[in-house]
Formats: sequence, C-alpha cells, structure tokens
Amino acid sequence: MNILIPHDWLLDHLETEASPDDIQRLLSLSGPSVERVEERAGDQVYDIEVTTNRVDSMSVRGIAREATVILQQTNVPAKLKPKPAESIEIKPSIDPPLPLPKITNHPQLNKRTMCVILTNIKRNPTPEWMAHRLQQIEMNVHDAAIDITNYVTHELGHPCHAFDYDKVMEQGGEIIITEAAAGEKFTTLDGESFITVGGEVVFKNPAGDIIDLPSIKGTANTSVNDQTTNILLLMESIDAQKVRFASMTHAIRTVAAQLMEKKVDPYLAEDVLKRATQLYQEICAAQIGSPVYDDFPQLSQAAKITLTTHKINAYLGLDLPKNQINHILTDLGCEVAWPDDQTLTVTPPTYRADLALAVDVIEELARIYGYHNLPSKLMATPIPTDRPTEMRFEIEHRVKEMLADLGWQELYTYSMVSADLATQSGYPLTDHLKLANPLTDDRVYLRRSLVPSLLEVMDQHSDKKQLALFELAHVYHPQTSKLPKQELHLTLVCNLPYRKLRGEIEALLSRFFVDQITINQTSNLVADLLIGNDSGTNLVGTIKILPQSRIAVEINFSKLLPHLKTHPHYQPISKGEALKEDLTFQLPPKTAVGKVIDIIISLHPKITSVELKDTYQHNMTFEITFNDPQRSLSSTEVQPIRQKIIDTITQKFQAKLIGSL
Amino acid sequence: MTIAELKQQIKLLKTQLASETISSGLRSKYLGKKGHFNQIAQVLTQIDPTERKQAGILLNQFKTFLENHIANQETSQPEAADWIDLTAPGIKPHVGHLHPISQAMDEITRIFERIGFTRVRYPEVDWDWYVFESLNMPKNHPARDEWETFFIDAPEDQEKGKMVLTTHTSNGQVREMERLDSQPPIRMINIARCYRRQQDATHTQMFHQFEGLVIDKGISLQHLKGTLDYFAQEFYGPGTKSRIRPFHFQFTEPSLEVDFSCHICGGTGQVVTEDGTKQKCKFCKSGWHEVGGAGMVHPNVLKAGGIDPEKYTGFAFGWGVERTYTLKEGMNIDDIRLIYSGDLRFLEQF
Repeated sequence: MNILIPHDWLLDHLETEASPDDIQRLLSLSGPSVERVEERAGDQVYDIEVTTNRVDSMSVRGIAREATVILQQTNVPAKLKPKPAESIEIKPSIDPPLPLPKITNHPQLNKRTMCVILTNIKRNPTPEWMAHRLQQIEMNVHDAAIDITNYVTHELGHPCHAFDYDKVMEQGGEIIITEAAAGEKFTTLDGESFITVGGEVVFKNPAGDIIDLPSIKGTANTSVNDQTTNILLLMESIDAQKVRFASMTHAIRTVAAQLMEKKVDPYLAEDVLKRATQLYQEICAAQIGSPVYDDFPQLSQAAKITLTTHKINAYLGLDLPKNQINHILTDLGCEVAWPDDQTLTVTPPTYRADLALAVDVIEELARIYGYHNLPSKLMATPIPTDRPTEMRFEIEHRVKEMLADLGWQELYTYSMVSADLATQSGYPLTDHLKLANPLTDDRVYLRRSLVPSLLEVMDQHSDKKQLALFELAHVYHPQTSKLPKQELHLTLVCNLPYRKLRGEIEALLSRFFVDQITINQTSNLVADLLIGNDSGTNLVGTIKILPQSRIAVEINFSKLLPHLKTHPHYQPISKGEALKEDLTFQLPPKTAVGKVIDIIISLHPKITSVELKDTYQHNMTFEITFNDPQRSLSSTEVQPIRQKIIDTITQKFQAKLIGSL
Repeated sequence: MTIAELKQQIKLLKTQLASETISSGLRSKYLGKKGHFNQIAQVLTQIDPTERKQAGILLNQFKTFLENHIANQETSQPEAADWIDLTAPGIKPHVGHLHPISQAMDEITRIFERIGFTRVRYPEVDWDWYVFESLNMPKNHPARDEWETFFIDAPEDQEKGKMVLTTHTSNGQVREMERLDSQPPIRMINIARCYRRQQDATHTQMFHQFEGLVIDKGISLQHLKGTLDYFAQEFYGPGTKSRIRPFHFQFTEPSLEVDFSCHICGGTGQVVTEDGTKQKCKFCKSGWHEVGGAGMVHPNVLKAGGIDPEKYTGFAFGWGVERTYTLKEGMNIDDIRLIYSGDLRFLEQF
C-alpha cells in the first residue's frame, strides 16, 4: 500500500533540517521504503510503500513518528511536534445542545463509537493550502465540509465520516450497528446501488434501512449534500475481517476500508475528532452542537511481550547493549521493564498492534540499529549431506547441454494449455486438471504431454527448413484425492530426417554410457524406445511420425534417469586388429532394416558391430566388423560366419546378395 | 636387439617424421617396400622370442601411427600448395541453445552448491497448507491478496485444504523440514516453476523462483547478509554489493527486501555523461535494484515444520529467476513475456 506525503505537510509534525533526499535514504534503510521523491506543485512529495502490517504508518503523522526515531538513531537532529489540536477541549458551544442520535452497538462488530455534532456549518470552499495538499496526494477537491474528513484521515490515519445530522434525525434519530441479512439494498453516496450478501456490518435506522456502510463508504440517504449545515462527525472501529469481507465482496476498496481492515488503532479516534473539529471551527465557522459521545467498552490492553537478550543476540549475531535496547524501544513508544538482567518485558503502544511476539520486537531492534550496520559473514555450521537421491540436477543439465550442442533448441513453454492443445495430448479433456479461475483461455488445463506445446512453436516457425526443439518439464496426471502425479518429460520435436534424429538420440544416450537401445516399432508410424540393462529392458519413451514430416519423441525422464551413467563399463582393448567387410543385399520393400541388423549381430559372438553403410534403392550395404579379443582375424577365418550371414538373410528376408564373394 | 633399442628407433623415426615439411613422398619414404618401417620391422627376427610378441604390438602401433599421420599430412596439405585463402568464411556446425532460464538456474545452483546448499524440487501443484497456511498465513488473511493464486478445480483435502498452483517456491520450506524429519542442519535451494494470475510486460502467468532456506543453531541476520553478498559477487561479478531493508512477509520475522547494487552506476545512482555532467542513472532506482524478499524464518513456520523455534533459528529468501537474471549487465529485456514465447529470434541469442 503506497501513501503520498508532501514534505511540507510532514514538517507540520516533524522538526528537522534533514533534506528530502536524506529522509528518503534513511527512512528506506530502516523503515518504510520511500520509492520516489517527486516535485509536485512546488513541493517535494514522497511516495512511500507501507507494508500491510504497519497501518500505523499510513498517515502523515505515522511517517513523522517513524522518521523521528530513524533520524535520531543516525544522529540527525529530529523531533516529533505535538499532535495538532491536542489541547483543544470539545464542549457544546450552543445552549441547549442538540440531541445526539441513539446509538445501539454490537460490541463484537464494533470496538468503539465516537461522535460529535457540528452545527451551523458554513459551506465555504476548501482553503487554498488544504486544496493544494489534497491535489498533491491525488485527492479530489470538493468543499471544505467534505474535504476536512479526507484531509484528517490522511493526516492521522484513522477514517472518519461526516453524516448529515438532520437526515439521521429525520429517519428516527437512531443508529443501529448490526450485520446485514442477504438481499438488502443500499445506495452509496456516489449513487451506486448494491445488494447485500449477508454478514456485512451496516448502520441501520429504526425502520431497518441501511444508512451507512461503516468504515467503507457512506450511503446516499445520510451523507452530506449541498444543503447540509449540521454534521454528525463519527468514528467507529469495525472488526477488521468484517470490513475486509464487505469491501472485497462489493469491490468497494476505499482508503477507509483499506485502513480499517488492517486493524487501525481505535485510540486514534480521539485525535481525529479533535483535529477535525478544530478545522470545522476554523474553516466552516462550525459550532459544537453536542458533548462528545464515546462508547469504548473494552479498553484494549496491550499485551506484554517477554524476551531474552540471548534471543536478541542470536538473531543479530552480536551483543546489543542494554541501554541501546532501552533507547530504541522507548523511542518507538514501547514501555520496557527488566525483571532480571537477561529478560525484558515490552509493552508496545496501542498503535503498534503488529508487535505481539518476541521476534516482532527483535525486528524493531534490528531495523532501527540498522541492518546496514550488521557485519556480513557465511555460516560456519555443518553442511547438510542428506540429499534427495531421486534427483540428479547435474545430469539433467548435462542432457540439455548435449542436446543443445547437437543442434537442438531448448524451449520453456507454459504448463497450462488451451482446451485444444490439451486434447491433442491424446488424453480426453476431462482427464486433465483444470484451473478454477483461469486468466486467459489459452491457459486453462494442466498439460499431460509437452508435444502439442512444442508443435505450436514449430507452427510459429514454419519457414524454417530444419527445426529441432526440446523441453524438459513436468506433465501432470490427475489422481483421485491426491496431488497430481508430476512426471518429468524430455520431449523432442523436429522436422529432421528420421535417421538423423535417431542418431542424435543415440549419441546423447551414449554420452551417458547407455549401450542397449532398442527401437520397437509397434505400428506403421509409432515405435517404443527401450533401454536395456542387466535385468531386462525398460520402456522409457515413444517415437511418433507426425504429419508434415515431423517427428515427436517423448521420454519419461524419471524412467530414463536410472540408466544414465557417469562412467562406462570398461572393456579391455582388443589385442588383435578388427576385420571389416562390406556385404550388400537387395531387400524386398518395407523390410525393417533394424531387424536385419539385429539378426546379423546375433549370428556369431565375433560379429561386434553392423553398420548400415549405404543404401541405393533397395540395395543396402552393411559394414560388418569381426573381432576377437585375443588376436587378429583373417578373411579366410571368418568365411563360415560370412556364409551364415548370407544364408540367413537371403532366407529370412527373401533377400538377394549383390555381387559375389 | 632389445625392446628398449626398438623403442629408441621408433622414437627417432617419429622425431624425423615430425620435422618433415613437405607431404609428397612421405608415404613411400616411410611406408614403402624399402621404407623406414619395413627396415626396422625386419629386426623382429633378431629379438628374443620371449619379447617378440611385445615387439609385434609396438610395431603394429607404430604402423598405425604412421598411416594416420601421413594420411593427415596428405589431406591437409594439398600437394605443392603455397597459398591457402585464410580469409575464406568458416563452415559453422549447427548448434542449438540452452534456454536462458536453464542457464540461469544452472549458474544459481552451482553458486549455492559451493557453499553447501542442497538443491531440491517440490510439487508445482500443491496444497494450500504448504503454499500458505503453514507459512503463517491463515485462511482469509489479507496477506494472501498479494499472491494472485490459481486454484485447481478439484476437491479440497480435509487437512491440507485447496489444491493450488504454487505462487512461490516457499512451499518447499515446510516440505524440506518434513523431508529431513525436522532435523537441522538445513541448507536448501529450491528452484521451480511458479504461477500467478497476472500478465503484463513484467509479469507472466508462469515464472521461476529460487528459494534458499538455512536452519541451524545460531543462524543470524549476519549469515543472511553473508549469503546475499556472496551471491551478489558470484552472480553479478566482483564489487557487487547487497543491501537489506525492512519489509513485511507473514512467513519471516524480521522480513526484508533485498537490493543489489547497480552495475551501470556502481550503486551511486548517478552516471557521468560524455560532456562531464552528472545524470540520474536510468537503469536503477537510486543505485540499487530490488530483487526480492528475505528474512528470518517465522517461529510459526518452524513449528509447522516440527522444529523448535527456541532451539533453532533460520533465514530464507525467494526471488524470481527472470528478474535476477535480466539484471545482468547488457540484458535489458523490456518484455519478460518473450522468455516464454518460443520466439527463436529471441532464444537463439542465448
């Protein structure tokens, strides 16, 4: 939540010689972050981010209070000036006084009600100095009777509302603070109509009409209009959660609501009442029409916080002297007592409801001492060694690097996809996890395959002749009453020739010493990718030929991962020289060449590799390597093996040997 | 002749071959019928029979060496070439690119692993308990507004609440405490996809965060500062400073905002232009870049993870990978949506 504070207005509350730049720097280091200092209408204006727990700083006075402590800590002279109108006494100035409305409270909904009648209001224009400040903080200027409430709220940080006193009295002279039922209608002061959902805290008249949405916005039937001359100035302290509920439900996000939902200090009501009354008197020649009404049944007792110096020092990593602890905390408005030398009890001021735990007090000490004054050092404690064994981030990264080096482009595409893309995964749309509140139509379902997302990127680059894309990311498979099964997929999509793709996958796997790769063709255009190890083969993925000469490879990375090794199983170097020979066969159309190679290899242990060296129409040349680990083989020695190859292949595949031996 | 003498002869021939300057005629000189190789191969008969096998291996290796070396000479030096156009353009292999997020994540991982952090991974679709409630954010707490949360259309878990897309990597905090049976020491780095319901030039519905969590006895704000300073120097280069300022998060106390000094103006907020005048640095906010949040782990979070806050303290930080990475020198990426667009004109630059 940001607040604009003109420097000149700040100086109404803060006595200092510090420049706006110094205030910006020092405040940001130890307090609220001053995001900008801008010149507006002849004065420097601070744009300050106040965190949600520090509603006490959402005012000129609050920032002045913080600035005083922070500036003093850095030895910049600073003093908080007395509260405006602190000393004025509010007593009726007419005789007899006007009757106050009867107020029926519901203490669970509202902690405090405070009001006074201001009568014979002159509807004067807003004085220039006030209009100037309101413009600097980007607020609309109306006339003084209305603007005073906004001005005081900004200055002191507690909302207040001006009712038209006569309208309240005409409607029965009673304010009943209660929860709305569902279906009740109200119209806000700017003319917008709403229907309650039930549970909003409202003010009602005796007839049961809603006459205010307290701490959020006034309603048209009781708010100030052009004819108003008598005002009921009222402050309440509605339950924060209730205010938040009503404000969020009806999307009425006023300054008042945003303050009240963060638990504004009810004690501030008195300061606001005095200051506003003073301004109405000065600017609108108002007379005080009643005594002050104040219903504050449960004076909130600030809880004491107990903590030890040991704990303070543990968080700060240094010994903070006792007098410095006292100094900082009392400057911040806390009362400090020391039951013993190592223990202190801290009673925070009423406006610091955020201070409840020992660590909250430690934060105050640390920030005012100055985080920038703390030394910086690395941990000297033991390094944990209990690592999750099922994750191998380094291997993941090396796989990606290898693919990139082989010419593949890595992508990161969205985990959420459109209905269309979800369906392309092959799973029915209903078998996908769906977002309950998607932002856009193209990100609704949690994907079960990366292929459609990658194809979408291919479509964006249809002009590229050779595209090879991959992504390593999770897919999400729904499970009943459980979180989805998150599966890490390595998915590749390309328009490369199939043999090039396969060769690159093999090169990738061989980098990680995977030696048994099997492609098991299951239909015309689909094959399974299997990886072998000593205990058999595992299905790790599928290869699909898609329209437009595209190929998709989906690998379940968690199944592949156990097969990826960091070092090979070393084989002794052969003592003899390998013998290489070429054999060319003419094979009938649609012969699976992979099977031919597998069979040749299986024919004799001395055949160590078979490469497809060349193809010309249906003629395929295989380079066959014969090897004996103990010695070199001669061409005549392998003659029987060679003959066995020729016999087997010609019979099994109706092949024809090209050339002669 | 002994093996040692044979080795000596082979060595001499290798030296001689290395000093040859013209490739033509090398083959016949070394490998021809009366070439050097055949000459020394003849000595095989003079070698002691027990050593003959070893000599054979040596000679075989030498022959392979000669074959390869001479073949290389012949192809690389066309005969009689006295001029090669060294200005001719190279033929580049086609190489792909790692996505910038992968590069950033790898660098971040290595930096933290060097100081003993363990990288982990936790669900991206998780229960409300881990994402909010265990992090000291009860249901309906206004602090939840800051996270534009995506909810999954799925039944609630009785104990752990709604199923959500993780809005931050902080769901890893209590999960890591659980993984280690609530037994510190903990030094975790959790890098993962996160999701928020917002989209503009600086926000994408999906993004990445990295989360650090350190818990042990005696962990103080000084250790947090030390870790931040170390990261700043390693990631952005020597001389980069970090700064922490007060902030508020429900799951840390004290809570902090982390800034790194700007590399353009060196943390001063001012640059000197060509004509010598000083100007405000346009790249940063008064010398610093905000990168994200940090703080000391809130006692309620430690309790939610089964750790006694009276015995242990800890710190945590969590920042966007995109934001952290794009602050590197020369990376003025003005629209973060490009990162997930799949646009190769962008990706091929990395």
